[in-house]
Amino acid sequence: MEYILAAVISLAAAALGVPVLQVIGNRPRVGAYLSIAAISAAILFVAANTAFGGTVTSFGSLLVSDVLGDLFALVVLSVTLAVAVVSLYSAHDGPSVPSYYSLLAFSGLGMLLLSYSADLLMLFVAWELMSLPTYVLAGFDKKRIQSNEAAAKYAILGALSSAIILYAMSLTYGVTGTTQISGILEKLAGQPFNPLISVAILLFIVGFGFKMSIVPFHMWVPDTYEGSPPAVATLFASATKKAGFVAAIRVVLAIATVYSLTPNSAFSLANVLAVLAVVTMTFGNVAALTQKSMTRLLAYSSIAQAGYILIGFSIFAYSQQTGLFTYNAMLGMTGSLLHIVNHAIMKGAAFLAAMLVILQLKRGDLGAYNGLAKRMPITAFTIAVSFLALAGVPPLAGFWSKLLLFISVINTPLAWVAVAAILNSAFSLGYYLWVIKRMYLDPGESTERVKEPFWFVVVFAVLVGLIIGIGLFPQQVISLASSAASSVFH
Amino acid sequence: MIPILSVLLLLPIASAGPAYLVLGKSRKAGLWFTIGVALIELALSLYVFYSVYASAPAAGSYAFTEQYSWVSISTFGVNYLVGVDGLSSPLVLAAALLTVFALVGSRRLVDSKEPAYYALILLFEGAIIGVFVSLNLVLFYFFWDLVMIPMFFLIGVWGGDRKKYAAMKFMMFIITGSMILLLALLAAYMGVTPTTFDIPSLAGRIPAGIQYLPLLASFIGFGIKLPVFPLHSWLPDAYTQAPAPVAVLLAGVQSAMGGYGIIRISIGLFPQASYVWAWGFMAVGITTMFYGAFVAIVSKDLRSMFAYTSIAGMGFVVFGSFASVASGSPLGMEGAILQMFVHAFTAGALFMLAGYIQKGIGTTDVSSLKGLRTLIPRTSTLLVFVCAAAMALPPFGSFVAEVLVVVGGIAASPYTAFTILVPVMIGGYLLWMIRKTVLSSPDGGATGTDMQGIDAGVLALYLVPLIIMLFFSVLVLGPAAPVVQHLLQLVSH
Repeated sequence: MEYILAAVISLAAAALGVPVLQVIGNRPRVGAYLSIAAISAAILFVAANTAFGGTVTSFGSLLVSDVLGDLFALVVLSVTLAVAVVSLYSAHDGPSVPSYYSLLAFSGLGMLLLSYSADLLMLFVAWELMSLPTYVLAGFDKKRIQSNEAAAKYAILGALSSAIILYAMSLTYGVTGTTQISGILEKLAGQPFNPLISVAILLFIVGFGFKMSIVPFHMWVPDTYEGSPPAVATLFASATKKAGFVAAIRVVLAIATVYSLTPNSAFSLANVLAVLAVVTMTFGNVAALTQKSMTRLLAYSSIAQAGYILIGFSIFAYSQQTGLFTYNAMLGMTGSLLHIVNHAIMKGAAFLAAMLVILQLKRGDLGAYNGLAKRMPITAFTIAVSFLALAGVPPLAGFWSKLLLFISVINTPLAWVAVAAILNSAFSLGYYLWVIKRMYLDPGESTERVKEPFWFVVVFAVLVGLIIGIGLFPQQVISLASSAASSVFH
Repeated sequence: MIPILSVLLLLPIASAGPAYLVLGKSRKAGLWFTIGVALIELALSLYVFYSVYASAPAAGSYAFTEQYSWVSISTFGVNYLVGVDGLSSPLVLAAALLTVFALVGSRRLVDSKEPAYYALILLFEGAIIGVFVSLNLVLFYFFWDLVMIPMFFLIGVWGGDRKKYAAMKFMMFIITGSMILLLALLAAYMGVTPTTFDIPSLAGRIPAGIQYLPLLASFIGFGIKLPVFPLHSWLPDAYTQAPAPVAVLLAGVQSAMGGYGIIRISIGLFPQASYVWAWGFMAVGITTMFYGAFVAIVSKDLRSMFAYTSIAGMGFVVFGSFASVASGSPLGMEGAILQMFVHAFTAGALFMLAGYIQKGIGTTDVSSLKGLRTLIPRTSTLLVFVCAAAMALPPFGSFVAEVLVVVGGIAASPYTAFTILVPVMIGGYLLWMIRKTVLSSPDGGATGTDMQGIDAGVLALYLVPLIIMLFFSVLVLGPAAPVVQHLLQLVSH
């Protein structure tokens, strides 16, 4: 637990200290470097916690330090670090830089606390700490009207989702008399059908669903991803979205272990999640196919990927409520967690590459990608690898998580989800492949080399290396996901 | 002891990067490097082939096996498991040999972006050998998908006028097929307790009741690659648009992946369901054979004619394999295995010749090709011989293969004897084509550049394994017998 505290302190110091530095020295770059150092330090502390810390509950059981929390904390903080690094190149130079980095550190702090939350109140505070800075970040290009639109849309819907979550929490408290998640589970165990709790569960799904970008709570996603500064969009797609998933695991799936949604097996939580999964992936893929702008395409693809992640959740809920297929549930949760890690890497790589294209070519429509392999070969290669990985093509990272997810439902009554997911995977190649075709086969408007800045290349190399490395040698990551998954089972 | 199969599949993949760099510096050194790697591969695969012939692994076992744990957590495990038997060793040899031929042929037929081209060919070779030697379903699927990525770029970047269309269509079909295939593989994994992906441990252990849908899914997945009749429409575009050496690899070894998968996985893992549905699949095979031959008759372009000839040839593989499943007689499946081996060389040689004709005359349109005998004598001589091999005339091994398949079909039902018409039809239109193009007199003023002596020599080498297979078909059939016997035992249980 002391490692987590150290991580919290370093992030909080950066978030609070960087604006102060600005007042004293007026050296915007120094603040940026300090934030990057603080985020790196936080990642090291979390890694140390993964290695040396056991499962510990502390602060009057507000926080729980377990492998699940470590996994999410590592993912979200690494993404935050990548975003912080590439933001050095984005257009914001000048007096607003320190506040940008301060907001980024605040959001990272929120996500860190959220990963370890064991109490509904703590979870809500962390949720808001994560969300509020991102509303500002979305509108950071304040002279660009799309950025304003993105911020407004995101803030309104985000506030709505927070309200829904809070309402669900108060219902839960009303029934159980506690906000501690472990206490809630004790009270709910063996309870007969209680409409209040069922409503609360559904409200939780809706509230967290906004951040997870599952259909039909995804409306803000394309506009916000497109309008926000591209680095911030990376943060949304790869980090805050994952925070939605950890909240859902900590609350909804935990409740699923002791309580079923309705006595009617057709309206079980498993089926609700399975339907959401299939609708989300299908809608995301179909909508992505018709997009003309790269960031919108990535936004819809990100929605589709949320659908795959839900597969593991639904088989988990199924097995908890019927007592059958525990082996499948373990595989499914491992697959979901692995896909969350992979998706952060793959989507992070794709978004950052798209950001570089926007920065250097000043346009973000798909036409800009024609002949990109000649103009920006490293960027094009990054996009190609991350797209093939998103589609689940071996030998890349995405293959393993999809393999685990599909396997987990193939011999259960939810097998139709596997069939739908596999057809979706094939279908999604329609748009992934089209972009690869544009980059490698179509001629561009010029063949002149465009500069690819050093730190972008470093970040791309790390991400592509991870995608291929996890694809070839997945043992370590899978076993981490597997031990994180086992802490979901109570 | 050297892990020879791992070297076989990893050497070309690992050499792709260095080949790219060396070719970027010096064309000559790079070509020698690339061909050197391919020759080492050939030597190794000849050694493997000979060892499997000299001491064929017993029914249901494999030679040169290597096993390591790849992923292992409490609930899930994947092994790196490779090995060869009488089914895979001829295909490994064919892949290595055709890669050498294709590389030698590429020297004159490919002239742009050579570093990437040769690197991709090496990547393709490693991946396809990986498909043939993998004995673990995940490893198999890994290489299965890896094959299509170099192929997409080889068609899309170095292909003909409609290369982008052909590459996209190829990729869409293949990837859909492989996703459907994945369903079958996952169902196989979950079908047994304890769960496993290892083919030797799965064979014969999947309950008969859950074999049917996975069998269908795997047949669709493999059928797209083979291809079988309603799933073939990507093929003519890909084969005609790909540069000739790439078409050699596509027609020669990539199609054999489909046949290999049908025998090893569709029949090997789902034998009881295969037995029940054998007649349906035989019908698919026969339809494919006749469809290929009929469309080839009306083809106006040499490459399209050869593409459909290749489809007809692969139909024999499906027909022969399932005829054995239905009848219990090993002849059909042994013929199918031999057919995959010889088809690699006939189809490969046909597409290579089409490439030389395109380069020498400037077109492959049958009606505009006249008097090849005088314009390009070396090419046309070889064309006559290769066509003889394609119509299964002795002294070529394709004769043995097709006879075995037809006899195997008769063992299943005498009525299938009419399939003997397919080689007759193929012979008919190929002879007609030769009469029109080779034996006619050239238009006045027409000129052509013939292939060089060394290229002709290399092309003649395609015929050597074909002739050997007529007299020494036991080289393939001997080690194939225990494999077929093992599969038929599984079917009859």
